[in-house]
Amino acid sequence: MPVLEVKGLRKTFGAVTAVAEISFSVEAGEVFTIIGPNGAGKTTTLEMIEGLVPPDAGTITVDGLTWEKNEDEIKYKIGVQPQSSAMFDLLTIEENLDLFASFYPRSKSIAEVLEMINLTDHRSKYVKSLSGGQRQRLAIGLAMISDPDVIFLDEPTTGLDPQARRNIWDIVLKLKELGKTTILTTHYMEEAEKLSDRVCIVDQGRIVTLDTPAALIDRLTKEREVRVSFLDGESAAAEAESVAAQLPGVTKTVREGAFLQLWSVQPEESLYGLFGFTKERGFRVEQVSIRELSLEDVFIAFTGKEWRD
Amino acid sequence: MSRTRQLGKLFVADMKLMFREKQVWFWNIFFPIILMVIFMLIFGSSSENFKAKVAIVETSANATSDRLEQELRNVPVFEWKSEQPVDQAQADKWIEDKDVDAVIVLPATEDAKTLKLIFNKETEMSATSQAISGIVGQFIEQANWSEAGVTPTFNLDVSSISGGSEDLEYADFLMTGQIALAIAQGGLFGMVGMVEMRRKGLLKRLKMTPVRLGLLGLSGMIVRFILGVFQILVLTAIGAGFFGVNLHIDPATLIVAFFVGAITFNALGYLFSSFSKTMEAYMGYANIASFVMMFLSGIFFPTSGFPDWLKTVSEVLPLTYFVEGMRDGMAYGSGIGSSDYWLGIAILAGWGAVTYAIGALVYRRTKIEAR
Repeated sequence: MPVLEVKGLRKTFGAVTAVAEISFSVEAGEVFTIIGPNGAGKTTTLEMIEGLVPPDAGTITVDGLTWEKNEDEIKYKIGVQPQSSAMFDLLTIEENLDLFASFYPRSKSIAEVLEMINLTDHRSKYVKSLSGGQRQRLAIGLAMISDPDVIFLDEPTTGLDPQARRNIWDIVLKLKELGKTTILTTHYMEEAEKLSDRVCIVDQGRIVTLDTPAALIDRLTKEREVRVSFLDGESAAAEAESVAAQLPGVTKTVREGAFLQLWSVQPEESLYGLFGFTKERGFRVEQVSIRELSLEDVFIAFTGKEWRD
Repeated sequence: MSRTRQLGKLFVADMKLMFREKQVWFWNIFFPIILMVIFMLIFGSSSENFKAKVAIVETSANATSDRLEQELRNVPVFEWKSEQPVDQAQADKWIEDKDVDAVIVLPATEDAKTLKLIFNKETEMSATSQAISGIVGQFIEQANWSEAGVTPTFNLDVSSISGGSEDLEYADFLMTGQIALAIAQGGLFGMVGMVEMRRKGLLKRLKMTPVRLGLLGLSGMIVRFILGVFQILVLTAIGAGFFGVNLHIDPATLIVAFFVGAITFNALGYLFSSFSKTMEAYMGYANIASFVMMFLSGIFFPTSGFPDWLKTVSEVLPLTYFVEGMRDGMAYGSGIGSSDYWLGIAILAGWGAVTYAIGALVYRRTKIEAR
């Protein structure tokens, strides 16, 4: 049984349709990522699931519970790190955790949470004196203080430097090890690819596509770009180009000096043929690569929009 | 069980938040102290040591002027600029420079019957000038009677009477007013935290937890009650210790007035917070309310000197009734048995109930999630 099930969610603000139709379900222990351009409806979707905004239509069930009937029980089961992480600035890290822990019937030990978010050494610092990354880690700590089954992280790494971002990834991976379900939104494709079991691309209030990162990439066109550069200069590259154009699967070739690009629907076959030719002629190949496809390509392919970090 | 635990934790957190905020110390403790001390130093000296600095002008010495001078020199509240009469030019200079409060010009000839009193135009309306006119007027009356050999049939013996205790002095009036003002301002400005919590999204964050926001309000209220008690103790200690304030405390009267007042002014702050999107807006509303009431509710001066229309305004304001209630409890030592006291408390409570209701309505209409 899925731990979170969302069906036919819809929300309009006046004339603006923030969420048109969104349905998905998340299994226990998954890291489920929602990505999309600004204004796609990610935050509104999360806020409806978190019980902050009532949806105009649709149903939300968390572990079989609904907001209408089981508000408190759902709040015990979920932990939320909202986009703007607000906490008590004049309380220390430890005091914030202690206060939030008192809101719940059961909670994790504060020492354990401090350890997990790597703030044990700073626990007596006032929140107002923390760095962006420390603040964000505390926000995640507050989300997990009640030892929830489902944790919502709304853009946890936005605005952080690469090291701070990696620290947050570590926390997400630890949560996964603990068997927690994580619903994540992010602006970074790399992050979605690294952390998620499944990715859901949202645009204009609808789900464009939903699958594992690998399957999404796989679903893109089969034509791959292959790059080869030759040590023996332009003439070798030119000869190779004329041969390559005849090889099976190759649809297009472009050459620039000693650097050759070819597009192929069977890149392995094409390369096999090309290397047979270079070996026969004794041409030395300097570099060879098949360009990896990323979620960014998936995003562009599905939404027709440039990805901006 | 867990509710009490939550309330306990919230209360401890609220206490820390309040006392770690330097602004709270300044506006709720130091500012009222400074205000009270300044007013005490300027106006606090009571009427028994009223002194007026006066000079006498004698244009030409004669029997009448000599006798009048002799008598005037015996008036105890006059402090003499010079032991000898001076000429008109010197006296005018003193008046202009405000070296003296008034100059008395003695009759120039034995037959002249007029005593002239000169004030500086700027201070002619001051209480001191009025008092000097009164004293000199009375002095002349006495002189007339003795001249005519009449023993007056009626005498006026002036003494002040105040409700309850006989020795209510300005310092007592001022200190109790200042205490009421401090508590009222604590409430009016105290909800700034709420505005900040809403603006920063903390209220929204708390809504995601199972905590009851009512508990949050309750703990904030308890903390401000404690601050109020602290204000009473500090201001009373300073008033009694340095300015000889007399206390006539009736605990029941004081406690009822304090509770109802503190709740009412918290409700006013709550109302302001409901329609303030920023801290600046909130501070603006609170400042206007506090300023208007500070001067119209009889904190520093009795309202009896106000024109009628202004008295009406004063009779509408909640601080008027709060300060009366606090004075009943701290300076007059009575009130709990009087219907006036309860009428005041009822009006005060009415203000609290109405402002709270409007505030709650506005809060319900505006979404907390509004960013």
